[in-house]
Amino acid sequence: MPTVEASPTPFTFAKNSTALLVIDMQRDFLLPGGFGESLGNDVAQLRRTIEPLTALLAAWRAAGWKVIHTREGHLPDLSDCPPAKLRRGPMIGQAGRFGRVLIRGEYGHDIVDELAPVEGEDVVDKPGKGAFYATDLAKILENDGITSLVVTGVTTEVCVHTTVREANDRGYECLVLADCVGSYFPEFQRVGLQMIAAQGGIFGWVAESSALIEEITR
Amino acid sequence: MTATIGPVPADPYPWPYDGAVPVDRTALLCIDWQTDFCGPGGYVDAMGYDIELTRAGLPATAKLLQHVRDLGMLVIHTREGHDPDLSDLPANKRWRSARIGAEIGGPGPCGRILIKGEPGWEIVPEVAPAPGEVIVDKPGKGAFYATNLDLVLRTHGITHLILTGITTDVCVHTTMREANDRGYECLILSDCTGATDPGNHVAALHMVTMQGGVFGCVATSEDVIAAMEV
Repeated sequence: MPTVEASPTPFTFAKNSTALLVIDMQRDFLLPGGFGESLGNDVAQLRRTIEPLTALLAAWRAAGWKVIHTREGHLPDLSDCPPAKLRRGPMIGQAGRFGRVLIRGEYGHDIVDELAPVEGEDVVDKPGKGAFYATDLAKILENDGITSLVVTGVTTEVCVHTTVREANDRGYECLVLADCVGSYFPEFQRVGLQMIAAQGGIFGWVAESSALIEEITR
Repeated sequence: MTATIGPVPADPYPWPYDGAVPVDRTALLCIDWQTDFCGPGGYVDAMGYDIELTRAGLPATAKLLQHVRDLGMLVIHTREGHDPDLSDLPANKRWRSARIGAEIGGPGPCGRILIKGEPGWEIVPEVAPAPGEVIVDKPGKGAFYATNLDLVLRTHGITHLILTGITTDVCVHTTMREANDRGYECLILSDCTGATDPGNHVAALHMVTMQGGVFGCVATSEDVIAAMEV
């Protein structure tokens, strides 16, 4: 079985039961002029993940293994957006440069061109930060016999962390790739990765994508 | 007149978002105040961490508990733990605990580690549940997954949560994230939480406050007590 050098221990996985999870690599979060930048964030902190993630996706697809993308967003009538979320994020549903912010079907809600899903890859739409709550992700994983997840995407301390926590409680083994996850805030990137591997790997493992690609292409 | 809470001076906005909330729509969550996490001989002690760090929030939580009980607010305690036959223990969770010398289900000074019914699994006396208070047993870090917490909250008409407990970056944060995705308006109390790593405690609180309060707000128990209107 492939084994990747990781913290706190090497991560071993079976290729038939491992999926690559690409979380919220959406234009709203990553494109200059989009929602994320309009909040005053430096999108370059997230955009640095695109290149390594593109390379990883190519290797992963070439190996023929499972890929799942997620997108955070809401129905056009906002009926799935809790009032507490809407009040704190008043731009949700409002017109932005790439369409209504975080609304399903809008240009900004979709995944950046570099990482666009290809035919046969699952795309899970989620109303919250976690990819398990109020989605069919658990069913997709169960149906395909997936027990391990390679986790990538944005942002490290929000949607990536929430999803890894949900997955970990459900018994999935999670490998988070440090260079393929990004935060607008360097300090949260650092501490977010540290928390995952703390206490003997309380939420999972952390590695670099180069170590994984080496194993995939071996 | 029903007592209300709010606005509480909190970071990053006066909590709650809707100004003030009746206490009968608010619950106090006391997360995993168990001997295994903050008592001598428990799981965290066995892993070699300083339990003074996880005990730090006990006095403030005990004081807050008195106040909210007087107001008749719903109090919910959670306990992390597994069935004695380990049938609800994921294999990787067991493996990782064994690797750092404190295997879940193995013997410890306070009984089998993190096993329901063992002394170490019980809530410490300082914040012990009062008769009639809800106790939710959970197999994971989050208090929503594989538990009846959401049903209990909805049945009581709860829309707002005040979170206390340990550890800040693990079980409290996971539960707050789950609650936030479910639409609950959350407030975490900096003086009623604690972590095995002080840096992670501070970072976890800071994360809550970003982006206009991505998971809710942070305040102290004194601020909450002062914002209670009878």
